[in-house]
Amino acid sequence: MNKELEHQFVTNLEKHQNIAHKICRIYTNDQDSHNDLFQEITIQLWKAYPKFRGDSKFSTWMYRVALNTAITLYRKKKRSIRTQDFEGISFKIKAEEYNNEVEQHLKLMYDAIKQLNDIDKALVFLYLEDKNYAEISETLGITEVNARVKMNRVKTKLKSIINP
Amino acid sequence: MMDDLDLLKEDWKKQEKSLPRFSYDDIYKMIWKRSSSIVKWIFIISILEFLLGVVLNIVVADDEYWENMGQFNLTEFTIGAYLVSYIITFYFIYKFYKNYRQISSTDSASVLMKNILRTRKTVKYYITFILISSGIVFLVDLFFIIRHHIIAAEPTGKDMSFSALQWAMFISGTLVVLAIFLGVIWLLYRLIYGILLRRLKKNYKELKKLEM
Repeated sequence: MNKELEHQFVTNLEKHQNIAHKICRIYTNDQDSHNDLFQEITIQLWKAYPKFRGDSKFSTWMYRVALNTAITLYRKKKRSIRTQDFEGISFKIKAEEYNNEVEQHLKLMYDAIKQLNDIDKALVFLYLEDKNYAEISETLGITEVNARVKMNRVKTKLKSIINP
Repeated sequence: MMDDLDLLKEDWKKQEKSLPRFSYDDIYKMIWKRSSSIVKWIFIISILEFLLGVVLNIVVADDEYWENMGQFNLTEFTIGAYLVSYIITFYFIYKFYKNYRQISSTDSASVLMKNILRTRKTVKYYITFILISSGIVFLVDLFFIIRHHIIAAEPTGKDMSFSALQWAMFISGTLVVLAIFLGVIWLLYRLIYGILLRRLKKNYKELKKLEM
């Protein structure tokens, strides 16, 4: 029974691990903390797994638990994780695919996201993941109206960071 | 701004290709990592504690200390006690290390539960060893010190013998001091290892829940 649950969980997580990796990219600045956060997410997911009854999709449930982990972990460590060194960010933008100007601009935006607070990062992440407001509200446990308002504020915030 | 974000969204999708990937086995191992890091800390703390003990011994045991020990005829006993306690402590450090190695290479819940129980037991034995050895050293030292005073007092012809009531008071007083002494040591160790043991216990309970 236990073996089977383990197998089921690991198979599911292996399949959907991109979600966790992408969250790690938003919340961490180097490979070590990326792996740390990934492991913490894995542990939290595994702990919560017995309560996951399959009434939602694994991926939907994973978004919620993984984001919660990232947010609480980030809160615990407060600002200590924040380094100003953005060299380590592993956003690889291929030079052939963009012209220099676009590339520069994208980097500026990724840097701006890194400066947001933990909740705002979650909103941007879900936006980038193409989630609609219903899904965002469910994942973050806020109302749809609230999600809309918050998202607009984040967009304004991002704008002011990029064009001060 | 909307255009910017759309551009970002597009790029975000392309990033997917460059994401790292963990294998089934990698993820499987991560589930059990937490217990392994607690056991690692137990191992590290036991080494630190041993080193601290050695440093304290060196600092405390100056010439005057050994002179006093000689006076009380405690030199041999003290050296012997050090030796024995170092050997036993080494044995425990080795056990902690073995527990750590075992737990990090564990691959199933039931084996992990066994390892957690074993680690908890080792720590408890270790604390018991510390308490018993401290008690023995305390009593032996006390015995030799009293004997020294009786011998030293003899030539003066003063009556050093205790009445029954004096003995009762003396023994109960000693026991109270011993109890406080051991209590403080026990509390200290509960504090150092207690937090880690509690976490292990929590992990164990969670594993047990999964087992059912």
